Amino acid sequence: MAILSRRSFLTATGVVAGGLTAVYLFRQRAAAVSPTFIFPDNETSATWVQIRPDGSCRMYFPRMDMGQNANTGLAQIVAEELNLAVSEIDGVMPSTSDVPPFAVTAGSMSLTAFSRPVAVAAANLRESLRQRAADKLGKPMDTILDDVGGFRTAENQVLSYRELVDGNGAVIDFDEDKGLPVLYTFDSSRLKRQVGKSAQPLGMQALVTGAPVFAGDVPMDDVLYGRAVLPPVRNARMATVSTAGVQQVKGFVALVEQSEFVGVVCKTPSAVDAAMAKIQVTWDLQQPINQQEIDRMVDVDAAMAEGDLEHVLVDEAHRPDANWGIDLRFDVQVQSHAAQEARVAIARFNDTDDGPKLEIWTGTQDPFAIKRFASMDTGMSEDDVVVYPQRLGGGFGGREHYEVERDAVRLARAVNRPVKVQWTRPDEFMASRSRPASSHRVRISVDEAGNLQDWWHGYVTGHVVMSRERLPNWLLPIARLGGDFGVTKGALSPYEAAHQRIECKDVDLPIDLGVWRSLNCGPAVFARESAMDELAVGLGVDPVDFKISQMSDDWPRLSNCLRQVRKLSEKRALPVGAGYGRGYACGTYDGRCYVAISADVHVDVATQQIKVLHLCCAQDVGMAVNPDQLRAQMESNLSWSIGMALVERFEVADNTIQSSNFDNYAIPRMSDMPSVDTLVIDQPDIPPAGAGEVPLIAGPAAIANAIRNACGYRALRLPISFADTQRA
Amino acid sequence: MKLTVNGEPRQVAEDWQDETLLTVLREHFGLTGSRFSCGIGQCGACLVHIEGAPVSSCLVPIKDVADKSVLTIEGLAAEDGSLHPLQQAWLDANVPQCGYCQSGQIMQALALLQRNPDPDDTDIDTAMSGNLCRCGTYDRIRASIKTAAVVMKEIG
Repeated sequence: MAILSRRSFLTATGVVAGGLTAVYLFRQRAAAVSPTFIFPDNETSATWVQIRPDGSCRMYFPRMDMGQNANTGLAQIVAEELNLAVSEIDGVMPSTSDVPPFAVTAGSMSLTAFSRPVAVAAANLRESLRQRAADKLGKPMDTILDDVGGFRTAENQVLSYRELVDGNGAVIDFDEDKGLPVLYTFDSSRLKRQVGKSAQPLGMQALVTGAPVFAGDVPMDDVLYGRAVLPPVRNARMATVSTAGVQQVKGFVALVEQSEFVGVVCKTPSAVDAAMAKIQVTWDLQQPINQQEIDRMVDVDAAMAEGDLEHVLVDEAHRPDANWGIDLRFDVQVQSHAAQEARVAIARFNDTDDGPKLEIWTGTQDPFAIKRFASMDTGMSEDDVVVYPQRLGGGFGGREHYEVERDAVRLARAVNRPVKVQWTRPDEFMASRSRPASSHRVRISVDEAGNLQDWWHGYVTGHVVMSRERLPNWLLPIARLGGDFGVTKGALSPYEAAHQRIECKDVDLPIDLGVWRSLNCGPAVFARESAMDELAVGLGVDPVDFKISQMSDDWPRLSNCLRQVRKLSEKRALPVGAGYGRGYACGTYDGRCYVAISADVHVDVATQQIKVLHLCCAQDVGMAVNPDQLRAQMESNLSWSIGMALVERFEVADNTIQSSNFDNYAIPRMSDMPSVDTLVIDQPDIPPAGAGEVPLIAGPAAIANAIRNACGYRALRLPISFADTQRA
Repeated sequence: MKLTVNGEPRQVAEDWQDETLLTVLREHFGLTGSRFSCGIGQCGACLVHIEGAPVSSCLVPIKDVADKSVLTIEGLAAEDGSLHPLQQAWLDANVPQCGYCQSGQIMQALALLQRNPDPDDTDIDTAMSGNLCRCGTYDRIRASIKTAAVVMKEIG
């Protein structure tokens, strides 16, 4: 790999046009195939923040915007370090040529992994500017005090950042040995001006006025429209292809047939629809696609009957023949991302000598992976490919792959014109890399005093991160040897038992699988919290007190969440009458994020419906950088919890995906969404952790436990229907 | 063929006369605030007003709106750029997350408040339940409609 200095990278890309940019030596790293796992450090973050020649602060956002507004939180940190208001930061979504590669936006890692490097970058700039101020005034550094947008002296001499930079681009080479500057963000004794405040998310005005922000909104001269046929599952192979009549469609421009690829280009979108309707493809499948096949493959009891599961995560004095007080099986359904945006990519080739050879506009969680894959797909050098990432109309883990971009690239190359591809809603469901089905066996024994003795949780699930088609076939078995952290996420229990075994197996299901909000954490915590609730019911004890009593001392933040959410829920009386119930659940995500939820439900015999009446959520993810946006993410996760517990039902049959639109794959509607109370537990001394998918781990179990409380029905299978509750 | 969009007369070129209203708005007129999501009128992301009534523009052949008047999200703010009370309420409550559905949500809310200036929760849930939001911003939408209703009554 070439070694190049950050300075030359910046100069070459024109980032350093003037002002001041912090820079370290930059060693280009070897790139993984997918996803991009280059997490920031004090080197890479330096390019994201700069002071422009006019003294303003430019920030290249290192995260993809898809509603989580992580960049706003990071901008608050930059503002805190540089004594600016968030609104004064000129935030720019960089292309893949503007900055060195950064990691895929996924796994709620944005604040966890990026907050500190961003703070370091901004604080280094601040201290360099302070040095310039000291030099300019001929005074010692320690007499140069912070001021809004600059510095002042004790004698009230004021110097703004603008007065400390000029039109000549300058970069700072830091000496790591000198140590890091003081980070205001992480100094808990300091009164914060930006961090901890509910700053308005950047870009809100554009969203309420309908301004162009998504890939499909990008204006493009001379553009044509195209689409390619998508397989029911990615390891299907085309058996027969018929394209009769395609060329007669009004507005037809080109039919593009390559190995395992058929697409059309037309003058207008409706012509694309008409042309695609003429193309008939039959598929050779490697395994049948139906629910029975999925159920068979994730059958935990069948797998456990054969012996140890593939991955034993905890094995402490395990007693397979304990006297099990709880012995329950839980089954969790497949779920689709169903993001609101039907994804779009625009590709444009340029055969002149100037500028990039291939440009791609797309909404993606991983622009640098798109760049790598486009390079591999076209045989072009990575240096010749630029990706301009746009806002995503929802990501949720489903937008990490080179797919709609591939279609646009291949079609644009074939016609040598810019081509815009927008997937249909059936395409979205067909090609969703869904959350796998899983089944769980949870066995618990207690002693005479009602304390946990034995804990045995075995589960079988489809792959999550190391799913088929994510990596080349030759690499997949090797990568899987290292374990699939998506599969094991959430498996460890906070409850103390002298005898514990937690084991799992991951399998290839007949549908495409991938990362879905909360990964395995949602299903695993649903099983665990349902089982603990059932145990409390059986013992005749309060489930909240019981859970807290069974946690080891290692979980004070989790038990605090439970106490807080109980307090919150008790502010509102549960209606009196048959069919009303309240349930609780709690969980941890990544060992850094803690949450507890209460649900009030009505299992209504009159209307034959289960209605969620109210949800409370207490969440502790460390420092609350932007409390309002933490609340927004909690609200979102509560909506998804209703979807997972009660609404969403992914149908496969007859060797294909049957769920194809919102009329046959319901997602929560406004009428499903109850009032919510959210509590942000702020921990200013603890670095912020991610919050994009935390309450979803506990919400479904809280709803299931409320149903148990309401009518005695223990949900063993998601989603829960009213009819299920009456079968008991 | 001609129609009026946000008060301005527009001409639909020959090549675009077999498209839907949504496609013409987005691809021909460059008014990209109305968005494509389901294509079958099930989600509300493409909602606009035709002659004052809320309609899923993905379902409407452009020929059906010849000589009619269409209002889109881009036509909601005043000419001086000041936001409509609904947009302002959305902004003040930080309603959007990904934001893809929000143009349609605001246009549906406008139709509701034009019919019923003082809706309660049930009215709102009934009127808005055809507008999906995958991010789950429903609780803030509900609150913002009430905020906007108060402002709209004040300004008449």
